[in-house]
Amino acid sequence: MNAGTAKWQRNVFIASFIIPTLIFFGVFTIYPVVQGLYYSFFEWSGMSDKKTFIGLDNFKEMLHDPIVWRAIGNDYFLVAGKVAGIMLLATFFAVALTRFGFRLAGFFRSIFFIPNVISVVVIGVLWNFIYNPQIGFLNAFLSLFTKEKVSITWLGFPDHTIWMLLPPAIWAGIGFYMILLIAAIQSIPESYYEAANIEGAGQWKQFWSITVPLTWEQIKVSILNIMMTTLNGSFVIVWIMTEGGPDNSTQVMGSYLYQMAFRQFHFGYGASIGFVILVLSLITTIALQRLMRHDTVEMS
Amino acid sequence: MITKKKIAALGIAVMLAAVSLAGCSGSNKGESSNKPSNSAPASESTSTPDSGNETAKLTGDFEIQYFVGGYGDKWWKKVIADFQTANPELNIKESAGPKINDQNRPRWIGGNPPDFVYIDGPVLNDRQMVEDGQLEDLTDWLKDAKNIDGELITEILAQPAQQFDGKVYNIPLVLNSWGVFWNKALFQDKGWAEPTDFPSFLAVSDKIKADGITPFIHTGKYPYYINGSILFPAIVTANNNDFTILQDMAANKVEAFESPAVLAALNKIVALRDKGFIDKASIQINHTDSQMLFLQNKDAFIPNGLWLPNEMAKDVPEGFDFGFIPSVTQEAGGKVVANTSTATVAIAKNGKNKEAAKAFLQFIFSKEQASQWAELSGAPSNIKGDISSSNAPSFVKDAAKYLTDPNTIVIPTITYNADVDKAMMDATDALTINTITPEEWVKRVTDVVKKVSK
Amino acid sequence: MNLKIKNPVAKLIIYAILILWGVSVLYPLLWTLLDSLKNNEQFFLNAPWALPELPLLWSNFSYVWSKYNFNAYFVNSLVVTIGSTGLALLLSATTAYVLARYTFRGSNALFLLYISSMMVPFVLALIPLFFLMNSMGLINTKLGLILVYTSSLLAFGIFVLIGFFKSLPKELEEAAIVDGASYYGTFFRVMLPLSQPGLITIGIVNILNIWNEYIVGTILINDPAQYTLPVEIGVMQAEMQYRTEWGPLFAALLITIVPVLVMYMIFQRQIASGITAGAIK
Repeated sequence: MNAGTAKWQRNVFIASFIIPTLIFFGVFTIYPVVQGLYYSFFEWSGMSDKKTFIGLDNFKEMLHDPIVWRAIGNDYFLVAGKVAGIMLLATFFAVALTRFGFRLAGFFRSIFFIPNVISVVVIGVLWNFIYNPQIGFLNAFLSLFTKEKVSITWLGFPDHTIWMLLPPAIWAGIGFYMILLIAAIQSIPESYYEAANIEGAGQWKQFWSITVPLTWEQIKVSILNIMMTTLNGSFVIVWIMTEGGPDNSTQVMGSYLYQMAFRQFHFGYGASIGFVILVLSLITTIALQRLMRHDTVEMS
Repeated sequence: MITKKKIAALGIAVMLAAVSLAGCSGSNKGESSNKPSNSAPASESTSTPDSGNETAKLTGDFEIQYFVGGYGDKWWKKVIADFQTANPELNIKESAGPKINDQNRPRWIGGNPPDFVYIDGPVLNDRQMVEDGQLEDLTDWLKDAKNIDGELITEILAQPAQQFDGKVYNIPLVLNSWGVFWNKALFQDKGWAEPTDFPSFLAVSDKIKADGITPFIHTGKYPYYINGSILFPAIVTANNNDFTILQDMAANKVEAFESPAVLAALNKIVALRDKGFIDKASIQINHTDSQMLFLQNKDAFIPNGLWLPNEMAKDVPEGFDFGFIPSVTQEAGGKVVANTSTATVAIAKNGKNKEAAKAFLQFIFSKEQASQWAELSGAPSNIKGDISSSNAPSFVKDAAKYLTDPNTIVIPTITYNADVDKAMMDATDALTINTITPEEWVKRVTDVVKKVSK
Repeated sequence: MNLKIKNPVAKLIIYAILILWGVSVLYPLLWTLLDSLKNNEQFFLNAPWALPELPLLWSNFSYVWSKYNFNAYFVNSLVVTIGSTGLALLLSATTAYVLARYTFRGSNALFLLYISSMMVPFVLALIPLFFLMNSMGLINTKLGLILVYTSSLLAFGIFVLIGFFKSLPKELEEAAIVDGASYYGTFFRVMLPLSQPGLITIGIVNILNIWNEYIVGTILINDPAQYTLPVEIGVMQAEMQYRTEWGPLFAALLITIVPVLVMYMIFQRQIASGITAGAIK
């Protein structure tokens, strides 16, 4: 067996494992996405044969579109809110269900994951009923404690209605990240904690000096994943619950893309919104990674 | 523990299997019904061949797309079955359902649309379809097209077809009206006066509010209800009953939006808001939710379209009696303004069987189908004719009376640019919850108008 | 073993939070069940937590089941889910393995390509995708849906499995190669079985994603005979807007939830063991 054959065999092996996947991915994902980006330079209703090349005009128009800026603000609000809410609760649950030796830990873990297996369409409908001002759960519940019947329009505040979309998003998202963190915590050798115990370190100290640093990789992945799925996917729940309203106060970039491309017949403009979402995701990923790398160094 | 779970899972699986078996016996909803219907009355199948309009036999595939919404699909099922009987060699396919506009969109884009389309429901916008070159130009054909009874179609239309740059692409099939509903029984019971104009509307609303009921609810999630029933009639009233202002608005003329009539109309909505007449729940709820609250007498008035009683037929409580007026914003003694809401039919430019599509147009625009439409879908058809003897529900007859009354200002169908329409809806919503002023409404909307007319 | 929390107050608070969250998860399901047995009047007359009046309206279920052809949609969903999950596992495991273990020209770029694709908003691809599938004659087919779904699952699978393969000890492969196993033999006989827990985890996540997928299905499938469950639910929901049938709507929601819930009950041990096994370094 000479070196040349071995190298050739290695290359054939690599190629046979890489190329089919790549072709598949190229045809059904990259090609449509690139074509979608290409449309962002056109004025096109999405329904007709006539496409007009307009260069960067769509992007220039976005600068003057107040809804775009509100949507970006809402997107980052959701990212921040979801990262804070999900990470806080998921970490808390993960620690509570692994480190504290509760008897019902397995039961709780099973329960907490359930929202993750439910379709977002169903979740949207359920929460719409929770928030319904007249026959909804929340107002009926609050009315138990008041003399007058409570009739708050949870999804109809003049401002900050976007806040109301956080609870369903967090509710639906926690299970997955909790499972990720539980696995990470369980992979920490017990001896680390035993040693810390012998040294007399308390729960908090153990959490910060052992659990967090040793699960940092998973925490990082979780945060990045929440950020990306929010920027790219939060529009589904927005669309089902509020369609971006009232008066665009809950519009996010994804729902505005959908509104523009599929409701107002501006597919080119919608594509340029998609382009901006892509750029925002990239920038935020890089920024977050920088930030969190720095943290790791500090902590170790 | 594990076995218990497994048993539980198995139990549910068995339950599912049992239920899905029950599902088997049900009808296959949504399947295109290509089979010729035998249920059509014999008289029809014999009378049709007699009509002087008989051309060559229609053959091949013919596909009809129709949206199923508030008017239901009973009439469509019936008329398609009748048309099938008249043309046994035609293979008719139906693309129907409440999501059909979304579902068939790729086919329209892909140049493979159904032959015939009923333009109704969200998503489809006739102005946009015309601009995109999706619809067949019917201008010349319609000039001397006769229906199966030999009548000129243009002569029997109650409302003429909307023109886009002087051309006709779609013909209104349904003539309906926006307006304001109330429950006559409740009003009688409480001794409230039924409104006839804006002052009496405000006066009775005050009374209603004092009696502990919210006067007015609307469908804030889809603000075209309040725009169609309150804002647009109010604009026409303020413009000396001249509806051309709305047509100018649809033509994206900025001056029209800046007219004092628009401001005056917006201030009527402000009046309702500031008096606390508008149910706070309105802003977040959809049509069924708002309509249910209205039917439960939790709110006295609701702006809506004439399809409401039919749409909610199953949920109308005992003794509930619909009262209706096309507009409440006219001054005392002023003319009632009826903002029509029409749904149109058209032929796809890229359709493959335009002959059949035209024959179908001739078939449906007849007096017989008109009274059937009124009966089966609970809405007036766009065909002139006396339906007082038909089985149509009484409020449809009332509405038809309103729409033919010489003292009523009837606004013809007007389709706004999709962006402008959306901007008006958003702005009206914002106005009802006091986040903008009427002047800001105008500013916002004119900004959009300037952008789209560029 | 694990430490016990010594402070009883702290323990109580932690328990309270856990129970509260558990209720917030389970209650909506119970609520869905209760409401699925009510008629419209009861939605107005009773508090949302009130028990449905007797007789229970089980007919809401049979109504939803008999009016909508759910068993066919169930099979469609099953075929599409299994097909795309299986194909995606094979295609992502092979690439993930190579990227985890070998460096070659462009390997880093390839990794970045897959990872960065996860940031691309998929809505952007919908209309081009329609044209593509249309020209390939794959519109309104389960095969077309499987191909698109598979492609959409690749990046996530590769991303997670690379981490998984990296966590497996290199010594095992080296030993296999010393024993004379080929590259393929090493992968299929040694590495793939070892990564089974990871594959199962990815598989389950993929199954849930595809089972619940709505938007792509709505765009690519217009033929009622080919609907998947979520697509049909979407259609049905839109119809409910014009009919006001809250009871049946909740029955339909429950029917949608139950299959995934059953799947979860059956597979949750595998999820747990898969994740735990994957975490062993």
